[in-house]
Amino acid sequence: MKQKILFCLFFFSSQYLANAQFNFSEFNLGLRLQKTQNLYWENGLSLDFSNDFLLNRKIHLKGSYVSSSLGSAIGSNAIHQESFIVGAEYRIRHLKRLQGLVGLNTGYFRANYEEDMFKILPHESMLLSVETGISYHFDAPYAFTLSTGYNIINGNGISTPGTLFPVFYQFSMFYSLKH
Amino acid sequence: MKRLCIYLLLTSMLLAACNKSPVIDDVTMLDGNQIFDASLNHPENYLASSYLANPTENQLNTPVIIASHGYSASTFEWDELRVFADKNKGFYVSQVLLGGHGRTYQEFKDATWKDWQQSIKDEYEKLSKMGFKKIYLAGSSTSGALLLNLIKSNFFSSYTKPKGIFLIDPIVLPSNKSLTMIGLLGPVLGFTTSELEEGEKGYWYVYRPQESLKQLLAVIDLTRRDLEDGFSLPQDTYLKVYKSIKDETAEPVSALLIYKGLKTSKGANIDVEMVESNLHVFTRLKGRSNVSSTDEALQLKTFTEMRNKMLE
Repeated sequence: MKQKILFCLFFFSSQYLANAQFNFSEFNLGLRLQKTQNLYWENGLSLDFSNDFLLNRKIHLKGSYVSSSLGSAIGSNAIHQESFIVGAEYRIRHLKRLQGLVGLNTGYFRANYEEDMFKILPHESMLLSVETGISYHFDAPYAFTLSTGYNIINGNGISTPGTLFPVFYQFSMFYSLKH
Repeated sequence: MKRLCIYLLLTSMLLAACNKSPVIDDVTMLDGNQIFDASLNHPENYLASSYLANPTENQLNTPVIIASHGYSASTFEWDELRVFADKNKGFYVSQVLLGGHGRTYQEFKDATWKDWQQSIKDEYEKLSKMGFKKIYLAGSSTSGALLLNLIKSNFFSSYTKPKGIFLIDPIVLPSNKSLTMIGLLGPVLGFTTSELEEGEKGYWYVYRPQESLKQLLAVIDLTRRDLEDGFSLPQDTYLKVYKSIKDETAEPVSALLIYKGLKTSKGANIDVEMVESNLHVFTRLKGRSNVSSTDEALQLKTFTEMRNKMLE
């Protein structure tokens, strides 16, 4: 239930932000495909926005929702898990088509261990990650980002979820609602 | 010219880093060329196929359990089960040394996970062909993944089906997630070093070559993917997983992956027990410096339960 509420909040807030009178210079909504090194595909949605007041659009604020339920756990025995991510990234060559990016993210992770006997294991955690990659802007309204990140908080067999792995790669395809 | 010098310097530094070799003390370390696992020189004290080379009909009908150890360990890991069996009777223990283990660092470095697994296959094949009717398997840590791979690959279809399999702290996901970066960091590091307690020296490798860490990652990653697809036990084979709830080596959630991915031949769930322990391979207490009465009670309870299952 909690995850559905968070998902709805994420979706409606993106709609609100897109339509509000904030005059964002850029507002992009897209699909995010994420692969964790030696673990799952976790896919979902991503939004990204920026404005001239954010260092002339050198800073982008973003939010993402990814879940193995939309990836590796479809039709398999993979564990269902999801991440709610918010972050900021700094764009290098921000006025060019090909841009570099470095970012810092945080958020919330939870895994569904299903059976009661496994619920004693840690299954939720705060997220904290660093990320770097590239962004390419086609003729509006399309853009994509390709990046790799490192979850600083990751599973250790004791106090954090075991399926929270450190290294991930993500590819996002954006459609610009405002540019 | 300056740029070329910098390039050459960086390249030579990288090459030097890639050729790192540990400094091995032959007198005290299993990694050296003086200390070897005792089963290599005296298989008759460890392998049932050797100490029961000419079994009687009664012996062929007695349960025998092949016990195999974890990555970088040795037969030492199951010594206490053999002592328990000698005292309580009713079953035989066959302590298998994984391939590439218990020998020199170089042999450990050169071995693949299939070499590790081959020793288990060899002993199983021998016992099956000798006519043992009640063969069980016990695998700790990495041997858990090796045994799951044997099930998945239908190895047992050509032999007497195992009556039961016990997995102690099997590893499907590593607790230390830096293992997932071994492909990138391995060539630079060359090897990693493990801290051994005084009582463990000479029974575990101190140095873990990056080549063997890659093999470890390969076998557990394959096992994880096999479990995601799902597979079944041989007909009438029982399996139970015992997993410490806190484990700095094998992620406790490994037990869940096995529970979800492995079913009995009739499609039922396997048995899993999450145990209150923070020890990796909680059934091995010998060589540890801080062992509580709770640890001892848990070991005894587990061995007793395994014995009772074999005597059913």
